[in-house]
Amino acid sequence: MSQARPTHDPAAAAAAEEQRRETLARLLEESKQIRGNSLWSDAWRRLRRRRAAMASLIGLIVLVILALLTPLLPLQSPIDKDLKNRRLLPPEWGAMTMGSREGLGFAEGSLVAELRRFDAEIDELRRQRGELSDPAERSAMDEKIRQRTRVEHPFNQLWNKLGPVSHLMCRLRVSLFGDYAIPSIFGTDKLGRDLLARVFWGARVSLLVGVVATLVSLVIGVSYGATAGYVGGLVDAVMMRIVDILYSIPFIFVVIFLITFLGEDNVKVWLQDRGIEQITIFYFVIGAIYWLTMSRVVRGQVLSLRNEQFIEAARTVGASTWRIVFRHLVPNVLGVVIVYLTLTIPAVMLFEAFLSFLGLGVAPPDVSWGQLLNDGVEALSSVRLYWWVVVFPGAALAATLFALNFLGDGVRDALDPKMKNRD
Amino acid sequence: MRNLVGYLIRRVGWMLLTLWIVYTVSFVLMRSVPGNPFSSERTVPAAIERQLRARYNLDAPVHRQYFDIGWGIVSRGDLGWSLRLEDYSVNQVLAEGFPVSASLAIFGLVFAIGLGIPAGIISAVRRGSFADLSMMTAAVLGIAVPNFVLASIVILLFVFILPIFPAAGWGTLQQLVLPAFCLGAPVAAYIARLTRAGMLEVLTREHVRTAMAKGLSPQAVVLKHVLPGAMLPVVSYLGPATAGVLTGSLVLEKIFAIPGMGSHFINAALQRDYFLAMGMVLTYTVLLFVMNSIVDISYAVIDPRVKLQ
Amino acid sequence: MNPPLLSVEDLHVSFQTDEGLVEAVRGVSFDLGQGETLGIVGESGSGKSVTNLALMGLIPRPPGRIDRGSAKLAGRDLIQMSQKELMDVRGRRIGMIFQDPMTALNPLMTVGQQLTEVTRRHFGLSRAAAQTRAAEMLEMVGISAPESRLRDYPHQFSGGMRQRVMIAMALSCEPEILIADEPTTALDVTIQAQILELLGDLQRRRGTSIILVTHDLGVVAGICDRVLVMYAGRVVEQATVTELFASPRHPYTLGLLRSLPRLDRDHSLRLEAIPGQPPDMTRVPAGCSFRARCPVALARCADDTPPLREVATGRSSACWHDDARQPAGVASISPDPSPVAGG
Repeated sequence: MSQARPTHDPAAAAAAEEQRRETLARLLEESKQIRGNSLWSDAWRRLRRRRAAMASLIGLIVLVILALLTPLLPLQSPIDKDLKNRRLLPPEWGAMTMGSREGLGFAEGSLVAELRRFDAEIDELRRQRGELSDPAERSAMDEKIRQRTRVEHPFNQLWNKLGPVSHLMCRLRVSLFGDYAIPSIFGTDKLGRDLLARVFWGARVSLLVGVVATLVSLVIGVSYGATAGYVGGLVDAVMMRIVDILYSIPFIFVVIFLITFLGEDNVKVWLQDRGIEQITIFYFVIGAIYWLTMSRVVRGQVLSLRNEQFIEAARTVGASTWRIVFRHLVPNVLGVVIVYLTLTIPAVMLFEAFLSFLGLGVAPPDVSWGQLLNDGVEALSSVRLYWWVVVFPGAALAATLFALNFLGDGVRDALDPKMKNRD
Repeated sequence: MRNLVGYLIRRVGWMLLTLWIVYTVSFVLMRSVPGNPFSSERTVPAAIERQLRARYNLDAPVHRQYFDIGWGIVSRGDLGWSLRLEDYSVNQVLAEGFPVSASLAIFGLVFAIGLGIPAGIISAVRRGSFADLSMMTAAVLGIAVPNFVLASIVILLFVFILPIFPAAGWGTLQQLVLPAFCLGAPVAAYIARLTRAGMLEVLTREHVRTAMAKGLSPQAVVLKHVLPGAMLPVVSYLGPATAGVLTGSLVLEKIFAIPGMGSHFINAALQRDYFLAMGMVLTYTVLLFVMNSIVDISYAVIDPRVKLQ
Repeated sequence: MNPPLLSVEDLHVSFQTDEGLVEAVRGVSFDLGQGETLGIVGESGSGKSVTNLALMGLIPRPPGRIDRGSAKLAGRDLIQMSQKELMDVRGRRIGMIFQDPMTALNPLMTVGQQLTEVTRRHFGLSRAAAQTRAAEMLEMVGISAPESRLRDYPHQFSGGMRQRVMIAMALSCEPEILIADEPTTALDVTIQAQILELLGDLQRRRGTSIILVTHDLGVVAGICDRVLVMYAGRVVEQATVTELFASPRHPYTLGLLRSLPRLDRDHSLRLEAIPGQPPDMTRVPAGCSFRARCPVALARCADDTPPLREVATGRSSACWHDDARQPAGVASISPDPSPVAGG
């Protein structure tokens, strides 16, 4: 194939030009496809090759599904205490019937029967209401029914503050499994509650804290860091100085101080009057301390990208700021954000567990793994070896954190090929 | 040298600014709680009220109190009175707790460094071997298993099943072993991973090949040309590691019933002992600043390209 | 002619990579005479650096492997040596300098520490004696105030100065061979000339043999006696510098020469890049590996690999066109029939 020489024949020149154009068009097409599947599919391919990370990912997906479906599973009640007969029982295989504990006062000692009775009662009230004609009496009756279903529902004795979805799931569970409940294969705690059920319900809170608090930190960190990095100059300098100062404050202690303050009765009441739940604040407090690193990372990335040649190139071909931000900056920043995210979730979960363990986190009757462990360690220092109260919640927490860490490592390596030699 | 002095002056300046912010925030929080020690419906025991009265003008306006307490801290280093422990000033509580917590923290850190760095070196040098794999798995476990889970496991194993160590208490070396181990384990795991990653990174650098081309032995290359560079990330981690150790000691002091600052801090928080909590936060801030400055200086000592700022 | 100082015979080096086995060096043979400067030229990935690392025993294993071949230094085979024996060769009998002086020096150690390390290791010098020696060496490579500069760190030196330090380090045990792997690539043009001049000067004064690895034929023309042209892990042509520039035999060499900007040529002529790219080293096709880019490829080139054969005294080439007495195909594509000597 010899090099094409310039020619003076105009027809040939036009043809050559046409051919060149086609070649370029084809190249452009190819390059588009290359970009379409470059970073993310590449990363996915690399991630799939890491078996530990993939196993962790699958394990975590299963865990999340189980946590979401917890109300549907035939577990025992996580909050129903049995101080008389079931305190600190070791793991056992004896079958359990829902609602059989005498203290509950359920009809026929069965949740199914009690539910039937309760529904019949409500139906009866509804029927009565249908017969009433006076609007005032009617609304009084409405109020009574609402009160009944909300306060006296048998579920209230077995579960804590079920949301509407969970309530429906619990009903479905009763119709699916009847009174059957999985035996206490994890044993029971010092108040006679089933540990298996508590570990499952605790997973919901622990995972939720991990995800929500991480998202809070994500929103704060990314917007703060991106602003500092993109605006630059004095604003950047001041914003980063603030981060520096915050960094040098031992945050965990400040958080504990803050939680102390928020736990003050008057403050609690003040907040409750405004419809803010303690646990919501908890999410935000944790999220608010984990944004520092995120903001630094994002700011660094934005700053370096701002001076990167391809941004310059985009600018010279006349791309708008908006386009530059969303086509070029966001995808590039997303990589570090995801990497950092996978590392933040376990850190946040650990912190939640840590605070709950100290009695400063999730408050009963909500359950979280940290709290379970706290109960466990208290039971541990007694004379007999109640190993199950510590081992099962501990294993659940450790396995989850283990998987999250492995996944985080895998994602980091997959998204950041430069670091691939590091593990 | 002038560089260093300038750096230290700047650091102290930042520290004072940070302390001032911490103090102000704490003061505002403390004052805004109804039933706080300065309000008319205060809920402190009578004996403590007497102490407070002797020291502060409880009926003075807010800005006056802010200034008085702040001045007390600045001029006399007086952090105020515990609101729950009768006849104890915050300074006394700190003076009792600090040596305990400090020795626990130092043991934990020494243990972490002593275990983490060699493990990281071996892993990196024998990359892909069984030793590497098992140590790195152990490291991820060490990071994943929280302090207090580890503590309960070791208590189960070494106190109840194999009674080698005492379950709790303070004073003897034996009582120190388990808490120091639990405190150091996650830090050791991080250090091992950082060391390994740092080693592997430095090993790919060209100057290592230069060193090999000089005819140095592999041991000499690793020790003189790879390890110092690999230590840089470990050194920068020591700042956060200190924070981690301080945090960890909160839990471990609770589990092992160790009378350090951490257990006081938790109690202060649980019992809304604002003076004590504020004193603790200020103390921890100073500790963290000192540790971070040491880290910065050692970094600059190892890497001559780094300027202190 | 004296027996060669270094004699490399049929060297094969391969690397196991994610994409498959890469045969980086596939049968390289050459001799290096006493006091000779040998240039090894080729594109990146042609195996020139790997060849030299193999001589030093510095191929990372795994993933690298020396599959076959020998490299006799004064009769002793470097390939068969144990790591311990090699340690006594490296830095002592063969010195090496690398492409990028910015990264080739340890940033955390003073230049003095790095210089004295070599002489203390091989000559067992005391700290003080090593210091003196290091200062001498710095002075020799043209660094002023050597005593005080020994206390400086690499980042306090400019690029050219660092390369001088590297040269001083490589030569401080007076090795018989100096391997310079692209010693000027990372430097400014004016500094390049200074470094090459320094190398040439040292070579004349000390009689060290030099292997100069480069992709820059201009560098070769400047200081080499003889040239090895490598392509895809093989030597395709071997000649003295004069012969190579005057009458290149292999089409690849010709391509390289044509892509070289030259002052003595008509500026209206465009520089011609060799079309195409070097082959994917995990799947080197059978036959001549330059075939796909060769303007004069024959049908035969697809099946048979042309061996490196002596085509004249001290001169060899690996091309089927060599079979014809007069390499008609090669001559016909040359746009510049008048011989141009390098220099």
